[in-house]
Amino acid sequence: MKASKLFAALTALMLVLAACTQAADTTTTTSGETTETTEAAAEETTTSAAGEETTTTAGEEAPAGGGLLAEVQARGTLNCGVNNTVPGFGFVDEAGEHVGFDIDFCRAIAAGVLGDAEAVTYVDLTAEQRFTALQSGEVDVLVRNTTYTSSRDGGLAATFLTTTFYDGQGMMVAADSGFTTIDDMTDTTICVLSGTTTELNLTARMADIPYTPLTFDENPQIQAAFIEGQCDGWTSDKSQLAGVRSAWPEDQGGPEALVILEETFSKEPLGPAVLDGDSQWAQVVDWIVLATMQAEEFGIDSTNVDTFADTEDTNIRNFLGLPVETEEGTAPFDPGLGLATDFAAQVITQVGNYAEIYDRNVGPGSPLALERLLNSLWTDGGLHYPPPYR
Amino acid sequence: MTAVEETRHRPRLWRDVRVLRAVIQVLAGAAVLIILYVLWFNLTNNLRAAGLPTGFDFLTQPLGVDIPGSDISPSAPIWRGLLNAVKNTLALVVVGIPLLTLIGVLVGVARLSTNWLVAKAAGLYVEIIRNIPPLLIIFFVFNAVVLRFPVLQESLNISDLVIVNNRYLAMVGFTAQPNFGPFLAIIAVALLIAAGVWWWRTRRSEQTGEHHHRFLWALGVFSAISLIGFFALGGPIGLSRPILDGRALEGGYTGLAAYWAVLAALVLYTASHVAEIVRGSILAVPRGQSEAANAIALTSFQRLRYVVMPQAMRIAIPPIISQYLNFTKNTSLAIAIGYAEMTRITFQLIGNGQPAPQMIFLLMGGYLIFSLIISLIVNVVNRRMQLVTR
Amino acid sequence: MTVEAPVFEEAPPQVEPARGPMDWARKNLFNNWYNSLLTVALAALVVWVLVALVRGLLSAEYEIIRANLRLFMIGEFPADQLWRPWAATYCFAVIFGVVGGSIAAGARDRASEAGLPYVRTTLRQIVIRFWPILALIAVILSFTSTVTPTLLTIGALVVGLGSYYLGRVLPRAVRRWTWLIAVVLIAASYISLAGFGGVGWQGWGGLQLNLFLTFAGLLVAFPFGLLLAMGRRSSLPVIRTISVGYIELVRGVPLITVLIAGAFAIGFIIPRDVRPGFVTRMLIAIIAFEAAYIAEVVRGGLQAVPRGQVEAAQAVGLAPWKTMRLIVLPQALRATIPAMVGQFISLFKDTTLVAVLGITELLEATFVVNSQTAYLGKGLFVVTLSFAALIFWVGCYTMSRESRRLERKLGVGER
Repeated sequence: MKASKLFAALTALMLVLAACTQAADTTTTTSGETTETTEAAAEETTTSAAGEETTTTAGEEAPAGGGLLAEVQARGTLNCGVNNTVPGFGFVDEAGEHVGFDIDFCRAIAAGVLGDAEAVTYVDLTAEQRFTALQSGEVDVLVRNTTYTSSRDGGLAATFLTTTFYDGQGMMVAADSGFTTIDDMTDTTICVLSGTTTELNLTARMADIPYTPLTFDENPQIQAAFIEGQCDGWTSDKSQLAGVRSAWPEDQGGPEALVILEETFSKEPLGPAVLDGDSQWAQVVDWIVLATMQAEEFGIDSTNVDTFADTEDTNIRNFLGLPVETEEGTAPFDPGLGLATDFAAQVITQVGNYAEIYDRNVGPGSPLALERLLNSLWTDGGLHYPPPYR
Repeated sequence: MTAVEETRHRPRLWRDVRVLRAVIQVLAGAAVLIILYVLWFNLTNNLRAAGLPTGFDFLTQPLGVDIPGSDISPSAPIWRGLLNAVKNTLALVVVGIPLLTLIGVLVGVARLSTNWLVAKAAGLYVEIIRNIPPLLIIFFVFNAVVLRFPVLQESLNISDLVIVNNRYLAMVGFTAQPNFGPFLAIIAVALLIAAGVWWWRTRRSEQTGEHHHRFLWALGVFSAISLIGFFALGGPIGLSRPILDGRALEGGYTGLAAYWAVLAALVLYTASHVAEIVRGSILAVPRGQSEAANAIALTSFQRLRYVVMPQAMRIAIPPIISQYLNFTKNTSLAIAIGYAEMTRITFQLIGNGQPAPQMIFLLMGGYLIFSLIISLIVNVVNRRMQLVTR
Repeated sequence: MTVEAPVFEEAPPQVEPARGPMDWARKNLFNNWYNSLLTVALAALVVWVLVALVRGLLSAEYEIIRANLRLFMIGEFPADQLWRPWAATYCFAVIFGVVGGSIAAGARDRASEAGLPYVRTTLRQIVIRFWPILALIAVILSFTSTVTPTLLTIGALVVGLGSYYLGRVLPRAVRRWTWLIAVVLIAASYISLAGFGGVGWQGWGGLQLNLFLTFAGLLVAFPFGLLLAMGRRSSLPVIRTISVGYIELVRGVPLITVLIAGAFAIGFIIPRDVRPGFVTRMLIAIIAFEAAYIAEVVRGGLQAVPRGQVEAAQAVGLAPWKTMRLIVLPQALRATIPAMVGQFISLFKDTTLVAVLGITELLEATFVVNSQTAYLGKGLFVVTLSFAALIFWVGCYTMSRESRRLERKLGVGER
């Protein structure tokens, strides 16, 4: 009798807990305490960054309209769909924290929208799941090295925003394999991640070459198969391949044991994506990403952002949300995105500009050691051309 | 009111068991129908909102990806890819079930061996394998065993009969030569005649009491006719040896590494359960039976073969068949290492943007059909065994 | 492989006591030619496997486990809130202790009422019964870098033991409320993890998530399973059809397809503004799946109750509901306990499947850590996988042994 009572009571308890958390899921995941500290932190950083005359701070920003922006601000955290197995871009470090290039953009969006770069709930997604997660509202934004394609934009109800990383698909082989071009690779086995554009590109590239694809769901599995020589080639975005190659351990021959073939057989513009139908939210995310690039162009980074408080440059004053002279008096410039006027300053202070994000995670100083190439400002011959902040 | 009239000899309406039964059933049925309707309504609405197809027309769209281990081109329709996946699942089931039965029965018997080492080793195997999740076993077999086989260049070649490397295992196969059709007809006739001989030997044994040897007789007749037919038709079946030329493999039967890994892992896992069933069933045979067998001086093998096993098997067969069902369902775990069976292909196609609800519906339907077939077999076997006992 | 079947015996072989090891070996290993052959072949195989295992264990790099131990245990739980999982651990130590102790005390009292001798479980017996768990804890603790986790674990064990003795000495009147203590403590453990700025189950991971999915999945599925089982035995055809239909449909498909449906399709069949997180979706899928299996387990228990029991209840004029609650269910549920433990074990193993959907439970964590730059390309997947396998093995092995013990104790098989 005791056992059955115990069972009944436990069950009731579980149902109640389930109901509570269910409610928490849909409204707000963090309890009051975290939100408070979040706001406090936001306020603190805002004042230190933007000076005493700041009128609005991100934490207090009144939500405009009923879109996702209002929802995220009411919730107090950003649900960001990420990867957890791509070194340099999105992975979990030994402290159990998400780190990487994509992760920093999640943090940047949180900093811009909520005023707190740490107010992010990371949702680890597999390649197959990511669009479902976006469609069903599980994540507010997808920053998971996702390629911008027309069918994803059209058919999968995703809206792609400014590309954060221009990449292209390549093929990595063992240096002693003797392959110099992809056309050499007849009758080979090629490792590829399933559910990705990479897989589709490979199919197209190998249309006339007999080969066997070896598809896995997770990068570590491909790694294992590649180390043991189960596949002759590993195809992926070149940045990912370069990352793996540069970190290749010495007992496996070091980076010299691997060669990334010259051919780039696809364009892979990787960037954040949001759900169709909420243009306000899309603009917000877009301009936060652009802000990191604009900051680099202005020469503003997280270390020197304070020194711009007295700048005379109107563009920079607009950008950082510093008060500017208007007909009605002195007020910070508000582009009308529904964000705090100092959102860009928040992003730069808390996360950094594009160059900082890049260098920290994938740049020459990091284990991945990737050159900037296309991912530099237009002034340096790259593709970054952020529209003006006016 | 008539109801008042009736309460004299009948219970009130809300206490009338017959009325209550009807009301409860109507309510329950209505509730289920309403829930189903609401779900259906949501489904079609949400599909339309996400811009996904609501029907099954997408099945004729091109597949878009190469499927390992098949010749299906990426431009073939999706339904062909799905059919191929069903075939791949069947390849696991058809090979796996006999194997796991053999290993399971042997290990189950071995656990009761008087040989201390045999009993302990069998016990160790069962206790270790049974308590590890099958998914982990699959990963383990794939990564720790199959991947460590020799690489392609150092393939193990056993006199052109079997070629083993960490990509595939190829073995000698058969090819149809001219006259293959007539030969099939001869085989069919031989089978019929063999069945006739079986029946004749059984009857004769019943009439005269001499040993029937029906299996040997039938096999002999069948082989004789087939052999004569084989030579008379000038060798309608030829051998096809696997030949490794550079990287290309031709001829023979080939199974990809992922296939063998899943097969081995699931056979080992399910066999450990079958072994427990067999052991339990043998222990359930009354002790007097084997004592009686000893009394009439049967050898230990005869005792097992003619006295104990027939009785034990009657107890063991229903649970063993339910293990077959488990095995069939567990083949879905092959998704983890990229073997292109039903779940894998479904997952992959969902990842490439095909509508998830329809794909999952087809997938579940496929497994339900498998389950139904196995349940039918269970019922037939159960009925047959009941006839034998009475 | 030899087709020759080895000799077998129904009961443990009753050999006359061996005189010395040589005699024992002759009787148990080399009693005839094929047994000798088998012994030699198997011994070679066992030695080979052992040597490979020891060499693998000695040469493996354990740094990856040491550095990521927390990820394996509790996933991405914030580092500055580690006191929370520990608080939950202590809650469970007390629950297991008190419930175990009061069950033992109940058995003692019943024995003394019936005038039967009661054999106490000694500490030594407990250690012998749970040695795999204790060994596992030692292995895990050997991977920690500070002494704090070891001290805390010892503390938890001491608290558990103390609660056991507390449960034993509780007066009878209090003991009747043990279940309430358990419920309160379970609530407390959840609140300590998730309440007041903690992390809800959406953010859990590692072994903690496997355990949570197993416990919560079974607990919530149980009432549904009970209803389905009663529905299946109902005399109302519509109810019976619905129950049978549901049970057989679910039992006919693999769990992974239900999980995939949970991940990809639930979003389509519920209203758009309800957005359960991925862990919640997995939990819903597991509950829907397990309910059907529990229904079959309970049905087995219901069938084990002799018909005479129901007839007797009817004869003394009990209402159908009371017959069910007071006569049938107590007996049926008692008979299902071993099968429920079996269901628990199989669900615990099946929780690894959520890894396929990218949720960072223990198995997925073994992938994730291999993407860290420090371990890239080192091929340590087998090492991390073995660590996870060890944890699952110990858990399942201990539980299945306990379930067999329970079965014997309850004498379920005898009815």
